[in-house]
Amino acid sequence: MLVPVSYNLRSLWVRRSSTLLTIIGIGATVAVLAGVLSLQQGFATLFAESGRTDVAIFLRPGATNEGDSAFRKDKAQRLIKTLPEIRSDENEQPLAGMECYVAVRRNRVGGGETNVPVRGVEQRSFDIYGDGIRIVGGRRFKPGADEVIVGAKLSDRIEDCRLGDVIVLNTAPLRVVGIFESDGPFASEIWGDLDRMLNALQRPSPNRVVAQLNDGVDVEELNERVKDDKEVPAKVMTEREYLTSQTSALSGTLLFLGAFLAIVMGTAAVFTATNTMLAAISSRTHEIGILLAAGFRPIPIFLSFLMEALLLGLLGGLVGCLLSLPLNGIETGATNFNTFTEVAFAFRVTPVVLMTAVTFSLVLGLFGGAIPAWRAARMVPVDALRRR
Amino acid sequence: MVALVFRNLLKHPIRSLLTIGSLTIAIFLLCFLRSVVTTLEAGIASADSRRLWVQSAVSLFVDLPTAYQAKIDAVPGVERTCKWQWFGGYYKEPSNFFAQFAVDPDELITIWPEVEVVAGSKEAFANQRNSCMVGEELAQEFGWKVGDQVPIIGALFPRPDGSAYMFDVAAIYRPTRATVDSRTFFFHWKFHAESQEAITGSAPNVGVFVIKVAQDADPTSVMATVDGLFENGPQVVQTTTEAEFNRQFVSMVGNVPKLLSFIGGGVFIAILLACVNTMLMAGREQVRDVGIMKALGFTDGSTFGLLIGQSLALCGLGGGFGILIALGAQVPIATLLGRFFPGFRILPETIFLAIGVTIAVGLLAGIVPGRSASRMRAVDALRRQ
Repeated sequence: MLVPVSYNLRSLWVRRSSTLLTIIGIGATVAVLAGVLSLQQGFATLFAESGRTDVAIFLRPGATNEGDSAFRKDKAQRLIKTLPEIRSDENEQPLAGMECYVAVRRNRVGGGETNVPVRGVEQRSFDIYGDGIRIVGGRRFKPGADEVIVGAKLSDRIEDCRLGDVIVLNTAPLRVVGIFESDGPFASEIWGDLDRMLNALQRPSPNRVVAQLNDGVDVEELNERVKDDKEVPAKVMTEREYLTSQTSALSGTLLFLGAFLAIVMGTAAVFTATNTMLAAISSRTHEIGILLAAGFRPIPIFLSFLMEALLLGLLGGLVGCLLSLPLNGIETGATNFNTFTEVAFAFRVTPVVLMTAVTFSLVLGLFGGAIPAWRAARMVPVDALRRR
Repeated sequence: MVALVFRNLLKHPIRSLLTIGSLTIAIFLLCFLRSVVTTLEAGIASADSRRLWVQSAVSLFVDLPTAYQAKIDAVPGVERTCKWQWFGGYYKEPSNFFAQFAVDPDELITIWPEVEVVAGSKEAFANQRNSCMVGEELAQEFGWKVGDQVPIIGALFPRPDGSAYMFDVAAIYRPTRATVDSRTFFFHWKFHAESQEAITGSAPNVGVFVIKVAQDADPTSVMATVDGLFENGPQVVQTTTEAEFNRQFVSMVGNVPKLLSFIGGGVFIAILLACVNTMLMAGREQVRDVGIMKALGFTDGSTFGLLIGQSLALCGLGGGFGILIALGAQVPIATLLGRFFPGFRILPETIFLAIGVTIAVGLLAGIVPGRSASRMRAVDALRRQ
């Protein structure tokens, strides 16, 4: 017969100061883990979820990001004009364009320098991304003009990024004529006319080609075909694949940090939980004697105390989740180690984060309760009853 | 009294051990996290004030024309200049990541006296065009010795057939200051320029020029003059002190110090609660003992001291072990992290901080049970079961 759970609940309540301290201790550990994970989730989903699968990115073979990639203009044009997989608009013009990309030094509002991506695009890019780029203030830049539009997330973070401000790139002053919203990392970028940006930054050639693909095009097949092309070899992937590949370094670092902290702080939390349970059991020696004398077998007693420890862990986990919930949605910025540019994103306390946190807290409870529960189960009724 | 403190701790050996264990872990973690921040900042503190870094004012990723070097050399107060170009290649696998720089070897040797050669010689490196000088840690990691041939694949400067560039190891160095790490691979700018010209048909640009300012010159005016030379392009430059250059990098990595101090706060709360918990339990159990002591004539102060003493002893042991483990693990951690994060070191300041935190936790955890013990009346205490 099992010991009723209400026995454990009452016992936690009787020792509430000790229970509370243990719960908060476990909660702090869980909250740290959840905080780091929600940072990683916010960063990774920003990239992965905004990437489209019907937009293809063409890079120089061997390049791992657009900064490393380059196409001469004539070669890029050849790609755009000759590939049948690229979707055409109603005027039979391919929905594809060249883009240049450079991370420039900018001052943060409130001090410090950071790297902000500047993207030079053709007007075509607006057709390709469609709703992905939404002007929320001002207007688009005019072709060939010394004008730029700025991602909405930059306005409060980076100096000179409000409507009407002037951004000086190298020797060229560029007026901010529009603010745009985007769900992905574009919202942390500055966009201007391709030729003007190439000229201002003294760059010889664009970095990548983007194109909308016809329905049902197999990107891998396309990649196989063009990667060894004699004229214009290129590496092709969907925008989603590309953006996901740009998160590996920071995501990896954050996950490593999270795992490291979980193990180290978790061990400390297990010690605390063990202490609490040991104290709980030693002050209940008499009660355990009664349980054993009343006919409860050692295994149900073991399970009962393990259950109590699990409850302790679970409560700690819930406290940890509650502590981490206010983080959800808080905007922050981090340097994406793949591109070495700063990107703004929000903490995201996703179900994955919460599930991991609760599972982790249960594991802490399990480890913390094992030794004390085993001790309780091995007590000899006569000795236990003798102790008061 | 001291004996009594330890007797009481030994009464519950498992509980004391577990509390000491969690403190050990927490203090170790605190030392580790703090050292990550101080290591990041080490380059700023040890920077050479006579070295100036000239880079593009526009972007980290924009290069400067090689012709700039002669113009910079002509500025009064500039003693010499060294080219410094990020190569961005790898050894065999892309995961074998470390920094490679194309430099002017003679200049490197003079401008960085803290680069101490431990095998091979500076002359051998300077005289052989296809040679390289590598950091001690790097040589150890890949088992390179002087005279070995090392293939480096250029990811940023690929060869058309994807093959590697071959370098002879001419020298292995050990830095004596934190300005240079011991995982860098230096090779000849001329080798780089010639191979790129052969591939692309045009001479490559330079990422950064490093200026050595003459002893009698004012670095500030040199900076202003160099910036002024190129203010109308083609590439605007930004000349900074070495300290500022390093600070920019730390700033660009983002809010690491803030994130780590947030985590450190979580760690602190968790250990504080663990110790408070243990001490409250100890306090509850020792009510009778306290009663007996008071009946025997011990003062309120000494019963307070008994509990504070236990708390401090627990924390002192835990914190002490934590610091010892952190110091012991310093070398393995430095090796483990070296690839991404060179030069990991625990500073004396960090140890003092850890000692301070340990004592603070000990006092805080002992205060509540200590006070209740000192306020308790002997009669009440003895009456309690």
